[in-house]
Amino acid sequence: MSIAPAELSRTEIAEDTSLDSPWITLVWNDPVNLMSYVTYVFQTYFGYPRAKAEKLMLDVHQKGRAVVSNGPRETMERDTEALQGYGLWATFQKDE
Amino acid sequence: MAKAFKRKGDRFVARLDDVEREVVVALLQQTQDFLEPAHREPTGDAFDDLVATLGVRPLGDPALTPQVPFDPAIERLLPTANREDPALAAEFRRLTEHGLRERKSANLGTAIEALLSADGDKVTLGQAQAQAMVVALTDVRLLLGERLGLRTDDDADALQDRLEAASEDDPQLYLAAYYDFMTWLQESLTQALMS
Repeated sequence: MSIAPAELSRTEIAEDTSLDSPWITLVWNDPVNLMSYVTYVFQTYFGYPRAKAEKLMLDVHQKGRAVVSNGPRETMERDTEALQGYGLWATFQKDE
Repeated sequence: MAKAFKRKGDRFVARLDDVEREVVVALLQQTQDFLEPAHREPTGDAFDDLVATLGVRPLGDPALTPQVPFDPAIERLLPTANREDPALAAEFRRLTEHGLRERKSANLGTAIEALLSADGDKVTLGQAQAQAMVVALTDVRLLLGERLGLRTDDDADALQDRLEAASEDDPQLYLAAYYDFMTWLQESLTQALMS
């Protein structure tokens, strides 16, 4: 992502993956999407509070990707389609 | 001189002169041309035609079966959605590509109309127009970024050095200037939407 702040704090996101949710949606880091915009999309689409959206965004930026949702395959496909609609680099896959 | 987007009550206002608006509209238009779904002739088969209007491509017709994208910009704007299972990725593309292209194209159209209806240099967007514009600017930047060879954060860092070494008539300089302008505009609109 572009426009990184000078100093980034590393924060772990709590994974709320449940056993009956074997599919995940991932967002991958890319050099074009703005950090502010990625946060905006996580807030707008998932309805996440600002702090959670920012933590997820930093995870994408620093670790190269982040799990942004989990659940049944159909739901993950819907999330992937919506996030691709926003221009994010979203994919879905079976959780490992 | 351009002024970035600011929230004014429930409106989003920027100032862009004639040339600046022309550039933004041209870039939005090019991105729309790139993304617009191909016009499909009626197939003569009532079921296939109905399915086509739903935005789902018929199964089994090789001419209509989406292939692996050959332009890397398509892979960036409509990425392969499953990196582990090519069959699932192909199915996802078949079911979603047409609809995604239509929605992106409609967003770009909304953004173009908003700029064309500017009052002099004053560009005023309502909430829905602002949401369409911020997504449209993303797609423009994804396309420009791909043309500038921006695939990793390192590429983005190296771009500045590359541009300093480029000759004055290098088209990449124009692309990069447009890209920077779109970045500035999108950042301001995103901040305004989040404020």
